[in-house]
Amino acid sequence: MNNGGARRMNGGGEEDDDEDYVNGDLDAWERTYTDERSWESLQEDESGLLRPIDNKALYHSQYRRRLRSLSSTATAARIQKGLIRYLYLVIDLSRAASETDFRPSRIVVIAKHVEAFIREFFDQNPLSQVGLLTIKDGVAQCLTDLGGSPESHIKALMNKLECSGDSSLQNALDLVDGYLNQIPSYGHREVLILYSALSTCDPGDIMETIQKCKKSKIRCSVIGLAAEMFICKHLCQETGGTYSVALDESHFKELILEHAPPPPAIAEFATANLIKMGFPQRAAEGSISICSCHKEAKVGAGYTCPRCKARVCELPTECCICGLTLVSSPHLARSYHHLFPIAPFDEVPPFSLNDPNHKLQRNCFGCQQSLLNPGNKPGLLVVCPKCKGYFCLDCDIYIHESLHNCPGCDSFRHSKADKE
Amino acid sequence: MKFQIEDVTVYFPYDHIYPEQYSYMIELKRALDAKGHCLLEMPTGTGKTIALLSLITSYSLSKPQSPIKLIYCTRTVHEMEKTLAELKLLHNYQIKHLGPQARILAIGLSSRKNLCVNPTVLAAENRDSVDAGCRKLTASWVRAMAAENPNVPTCQFFENYEKAASAAVLPPGVYTLQDLRAFGKEKGWCPYFLARHMVQFANVVVYSYQYLLDPKVAGIISKEMQKESVVVFDEAHNIDNVCIEALSVSVRRQTLEGATRNLNRISQEIDRFKATDASRLRSEYNRLVEGLALRGNLPITDTWLSNPALPDDILKEAVPGNIRRAEHFLHVLRRLVQYLRGRLETDNVEKESPVGFVASISSHAGIDQKTLKFCYDRLHSLMLTLEITDTDEFLHIQTICDFATLIGTYARGFSIIIEPFDERMPHIPDPVLQLSCHDASLAIKPVFDRFQSVVITSGTLSPIDLYPRLLNFHPVVSHSFTMSLTRDCICPMVLTRGSDQLPVSTKFDMRSDPGVVRNYGKLLLEMVSVVPDGIVCFFVSYSYMDGIINTWNDSGILKEIMQHKLVFIETQDVVETTLALDNYRRACDCGRGAVFFSVARGKVAEGIDFDRHYGRLVIMFGVPFQYTLSKILLARLEYLRDTFQIKEGDFLTFDALRQAAQCVGRVIRSKADYGMMIFADKRYSRHDKRSKLPSWILSHLRDANLNLSTDMALHIAREFLRKMAQPYDKTGGSDRKTLLSQEDLEKMGDGSVHEMLY
Repeated sequence: MNNGGARRMNGGGEEDDDEDYVNGDLDAWERTYTDERSWESLQEDESGLLRPIDNKALYHSQYRRRLRSLSSTATAARIQKGLIRYLYLVIDLSRAASETDFRPSRIVVIAKHVEAFIREFFDQNPLSQVGLLTIKDGVAQCLTDLGGSPESHIKALMNKLECSGDSSLQNALDLVDGYLNQIPSYGHREVLILYSALSTCDPGDIMETIQKCKKSKIRCSVIGLAAEMFICKHLCQETGGTYSVALDESHFKELILEHAPPPPAIAEFATANLIKMGFPQRAAEGSISICSCHKEAKVGAGYTCPRCKARVCELPTECCICGLTLVSSPHLARSYHHLFPIAPFDEVPPFSLNDPNHKLQRNCFGCQQSLLNPGNKPGLLVVCPKCKGYFCLDCDIYIHESLHNCPGCDSFRHSKADKE
Repeated sequence: MKFQIEDVTVYFPYDHIYPEQYSYMIELKRALDAKGHCLLEMPTGTGKTIALLSLITSYSLSKPQSPIKLIYCTRTVHEMEKTLAELKLLHNYQIKHLGPQARILAIGLSSRKNLCVNPTVLAAENRDSVDAGCRKLTASWVRAMAAENPNVPTCQFFENYEKAASAAVLPPGVYTLQDLRAFGKEKGWCPYFLARHMVQFANVVVYSYQYLLDPKVAGIISKEMQKESVVVFDEAHNIDNVCIEALSVSVRRQTLEGATRNLNRISQEIDRFKATDASRLRSEYNRLVEGLALRGNLPITDTWLSNPALPDDILKEAVPGNIRRAEHFLHVLRRLVQYLRGRLETDNVEKESPVGFVASISSHAGIDQKTLKFCYDRLHSLMLTLEITDTDEFLHIQTICDFATLIGTYARGFSIIIEPFDERMPHIPDPVLQLSCHDASLAIKPVFDRFQSVVITSGTLSPIDLYPRLLNFHPVVSHSFTMSLTRDCICPMVLTRGSDQLPVSTKFDMRSDPGVVRNYGKLLLEMVSVVPDGIVCFFVSYSYMDGIINTWNDSGILKEIMQHKLVFIETQDVVETTLALDNYRRACDCGRGAVFFSVARGKVAEGIDFDRHYGRLVIMFGVPFQYTLSKILLARLEYLRDTFQIKEGDFLTFDALRQAAQCVGRVIRSKADYGMMIFADKRYSRHDKRSKLPSWILSHLRDANLNLSTDMALHIAREFLRKMAQPYDKTGGSDRKTLLSQEDLEKMGDGSVHEMLY
């Protein structure tokens, strides 16, 4: 019979005296930490210094990403993706955001990673726009309107990090719905809510608001910082978003960055349609003109709208005068890699290195560093399935996350073209 | 899926089975083979009901030469419907695989209130009035009268049913109460009487505990069940209390006043009959002289509640001479009521044995034991003779007669306790005379004796060795199963100290300590800020809950709690509580979050589920011991010690812990669910208390969670909730297999399943 539990209890000893066990059992709580023996995973190198142990974690996160991209390519080679995204980032600044279970506090952690996210987001989605919203004292406020400039968003956010009051999901959704309803139909409407609170104080029926969001095709995703809430789960399920809860800071970072690559397009929007865009030229250096976005005179370094000749400071944006979408061609090109991702590299089992066929490739194709660990032991490495070039892990991450081109494939293609 | 257990082919309607369900079936099968009784504990949410149903029906199918009948007892109508719905699914599956030979008849049986389709009768508000309303239309004399005078109203449904006579049968199939009503409406037959009739022929009968345990009801409903039956008591952790209540009677001042009114009415009726139809009374007298208490076979509509004593204890003798005449019987009853009224007017608590009480009755009121014993049958006969149909009016005199018959019949296992006031409110006189049964084995003995196998099962039957002693039977199988989980989705904790390291407890000398009250408040306050959606709190009693909520209110803790979650409170008023529960659910749904304050042993603790987001955390404040100064409890403890050698402390702890387990078990209703349980009392960390919790809770109670203070618990809660919010693989991966497919079962022998579970 299963009295294993009971037997274990016996082992804990009888506490007949009411007061006796208080001291004896205290270390039981500490025991979980003792059991993990986290200090044993520390290692010393030859010179007696502690070797950093985050290698594993790094490798793991990379592996995760690889799997993810693998699955997305496996399901459908040509998934239509929403490249033009209009994302509202809702940041919960209620009382709960000032809690200190994330160090130094939730809101500081959130701000830090939101900054990284916004940069990453524009890096991956140059055609998209972001707006910031905060919830504080039960009211949702618009911090920045939709726009394409990471700096202005980050600056606006960093100035407003005081937390107080309750949180209201409904108010935030209503506000977002009002804003996103106006954007053109080719854009993907998205909300990402960073929710610290565990409750929502709403003025009305939130279920109606959720239905409204569903009707306006707004994809709502939530990242919780404390625990799973039913209403958030419901919201995400209804609107096709994802719901996740962060375990700790690094997990939170991972979760928020998962929202940077564009999501698959919603079926209703999948019909191809043409979008009018302008490709403005950079204005001459030294010329003085009044920029239309900040309404102040600036010297040089601006762009001129090809239709109305107004001056704007940054790309991509929408012209304030004629409403034309202004982008630069590299932006468009950069968005392409989502549609044609490079295949994930295969892991090479270490023993095959001893194979005489592979003797030539002792160095990483990307960085030309030796692929062998100190002591001539083979380290972990990967191989591109197309060009069969070997890469170290650092290059693997760099190629997949920043470069989006395989140097091996590209150089081979060039050399082939040269020959012909 | 379909698989073999020894020589039985089991048809199971789902594609996968939990390993514990499989071993549950194996144990159950052994008990059936041995034709003995068994005790099985398996946590809720593991599909107990379907495992039971599919094994027993498959067992019956595989042995067509000796078909067994399944009698399935549930506690509530809701559970009855759920069981029947599940059976329906199973039945369809079996028909699909076996063809028409798998056809069975399965019906649910409930009171008229749940089965009646006559709109005029159904308009009555409570069960007794519906019963009376039905009798008014269907009693044999009413129908006889209606045959002569068409203006006398009768029930059309019943008339049609009678007319159809032997043609009125249910075709094979599974009928829930709703199906029965629909069938009745369609055919124009009375579903209640149809169901009562079909109970004898059905392969599966689902009804309430009372129909087997309460001799008053069992005598008319379950009299003709065959011996080759398997009786299942589901959710049977409180079965001893049900047994005891079935044989206990309490008499209050209102009862006596009502009884006097009833007697006056009866005497008027007698006078009326004397004037108009004296022959009826005379013929009754003659019948009683001949020694027939009842008129042989009564029409089904005239049967009333039957004798409150157990069938073996009823004397098959003639009614004593001094109560054969109606007037004389009436005098005896008047004297009895008078005597009881005298006994109620006392200033002290009195406790007496039935023997002493009967002796005192016979010396003061001149009624001897044998007369008392026959009171019930005599009243029944008289009411029939007088053609009284509004039986709901006569409940009071009926209670008195129940009481008289029981004290006349039993000398052991009972005691009579008279309390002039409720101990908790000594200023309000509320005298009550209670005949309380102490021996749970009395009421259930006929069930054990009569039926081949009795299965007692529940999520909380720990310690499992106590039940055979309490109910006085010998199980051939008694087993407790754990849950195989894909992840550790329950997190029990024992909290012994507040954040200031002072111990917390609801021990009598500590419970009103402001430090304890404050620490409990702080615990809840901290928890509402880290736990999403619903939290349920159980207190040891209503008075303690009222007290602690008042203190929290005064110290502002309640207000702070309300900033995070709304607060709902269970009250003794059913309607109010239902409303509170409804709003609680809405608050959980819309994300506002809510706390529900409830009481262990209350209605909510017993029957309401707080699954999924309706209960992410349950806090048990204190150990829910019974009110130990209660005279009834003391008498029962004394009896248990003398008769069954069960120590007082053991029984009290057992009873408290099963209530606690019942309360905390409310949060987990399926494996996909998750929840935390906090036992907030320092006494839980003692081994003798803790070890009585069911093994499925104990196996998750890690050493590290045993002696926590508030801040530690808070930390664990945070970690647990984050962990649980992560996506997981439902089938449980390769190392912890929690879902078995047909191939898995075929691949492995019994051995490997056992290995996995134990």
